[in-house]
Amino acid sequence: MAREPRSADIVAEMVANVMTVTVEPGDTVAAGDTVVLLESMKMEIPVLTEHPGTVSAVKVSSGDVVQEGDILVSLDLS
Amino acid sequence: MTQAPAAAKPAKLPRGEDPRNPNHRLAAFFDEGTLELITEDDGSGMLAAVGKVAGTHVVAFCSDATVMGGAMGEVGCKAVVHAYERALADRAPIVGLWHSGGARLAEGVLSLHAVGEIFHAMTQASGKVPQISVVLGPAAGGAAYGPALTDIVILGPEGRIFVTGPDVVRSVTGEDVDMLRLGGPEPHGRRSGVVHILTESEAEALERARGVASLLGAQGTLDVKHVEDVDLSQMLPESKKRAYDVHPLVEAILDEGTAQEVHARWAPNIVTALGRFGGRTVGVIANNPLRLGGCLDSLSAEKASRFVRMCDAFGVPLIVVVDVPGYLPGVGQEWDGVVRRGAKLLHAFGEAVVPRVTLVTRKTYGGAYIAMNSRSLGATKVFAWPGAEVAVMGAVAAIRILHRRKLLEVAPDIRPQVEAELAAEHERIAGGVDKAVEIGVVDEVVDPTVTRTALAKAIADAGIVQRGVHGNIPL
Repeated sequence: MAREPRSADIVAEMVANVMTVTVEPGDTVAAGDTVVLLESMKMEIPVLTEHPGTVSAVKVSSGDVVQEGDILVSLDLS
Repeated sequence: MTQAPAAAKPAKLPRGEDPRNPNHRLAAFFDEGTLELITEDDGSGMLAAVGKVAGTHVVAFCSDATVMGGAMGEVGCKAVVHAYERALADRAPIVGLWHSGGARLAEGVLSLHAVGEIFHAMTQASGKVPQISVVLGPAAGGAAYGPALTDIVILGPEGRIFVTGPDVVRSVTGEDVDMLRLGGPEPHGRRSGVVHILTESEAEALERARGVASLLGAQGTLDVKHVEDVDLSQMLPESKKRAYDVHPLVEAILDEGTAQEVHARWAPNIVTALGRFGGRTVGVIANNPLRLGGCLDSLSAEKASRFVRMCDAFGVPLIVVVDVPGYLPGVGQEWDGVVRRGAKLLHAFGEAVVPRVTLVTRKTYGGAYIAMNSRSLGATKVFAWPGAEVAVMGAVAAIRILHRRKLLEVAPDIRPQVEAELAAEHERIAGGVDKAVEIGVVDEVVDPTVTRTALAKAIADAGIVQRGVHGNIPL
């Protein structure tokens, strides 16, 4: 069995504009929390965490254009 | 998930006590006391049986992982072919429990030939009887393609599916990879789409297989009187632009607690689920705005196509829940074959003969409008909620194209106001649900508070459910 990963990057699923970033480094998040609000396909799309953890880095700010696969937020998993 | 470290392998158990013994696995799968073997327990690597699943007659076979790691030789393969003949004769679902390294090397090409005969039997049975695979251990080569040919593939926590294992990969290409990364839950649940349902334990894997066998094998009848209305609008956010998770809506449409989602983590921008509706088995297909804005793309179109064709082959009515901004544009999608794969969805709906009812909740635009079981593709009935948009594209995007020159001429500070006026005018002429009703592409505007009964009545009014006469190729 592989080791459980200790950290996780939350990436953009598609090309999008960053509307708002709702977390800061050091914030604690639960699974399902919104970390970034993206705008794409004429929709406001919240990006949710899959795992609980602590925000270790925020890589984008509002107004940025992100490509598919770009890292938005990094987490240390709890 | 807990597991003993690989170094501390337990001593080999006598076959009677080995949990991998197919007698134990088949007994755990069927209703207690209903198992009846239909092949000899002779160490051939496969064992077949009939029995009941929640009272429904089902055929099953199981790898014998206690003998040569479940490798398949001529005799074992004949047991599987025999099980298929029985399933076709009984018109019963057939379930394969897999734990096998593939063809028996010692038997040479004879074993390959025998494995090929299983594939032939599976293909001939495709679309005629439901085929469900449960992969409980490593399933390599022939044991990988066997499940892959079937309608639904369920993976146990120890299940691994690959053409060849890590040792061969290393010797052929030098690539260093373990079984988990090569063919475990993450690659097949999320990336490849090989697996429909991931599970946390062998018991759960068998239970999910029983659930699917029961849904497809004992579909029941839709009792309109037992469909109660709930206010489904509660499942949507207030802002029309806001993305949301469609799962609660799908679960609220189906009878409580009956949703069995397939391909949950692969192409998650579309949700495909079997479940009961008024007691009858139905399939639900729903755009999920939370993922990729709910757009259609090449993978989601392919996923939905296969689901539609499976439901059509087994006479399962479809409910199509539409909230789609369009097809995902871009070079990645075009190179990925979004035109070819998107065409599969047009084909799947266009050929389907089961009742298929569409519900537009918020919006449906462009090519995706057609693909999501539109009136033009032969939908049984198309409902829309009040205020839903049915259009080629959003009104603002449309007028920016139609009135590009005019908008360039107006001063930037008043441009938003002009755009809003043009958009309102455009919506009056070209978009909006009233226009869609007028031209007949939407049959009826229904309130979210009476939608469940409207859907039930539409399916019931379609009369006897026909079955599409075609196989279910693993698209």
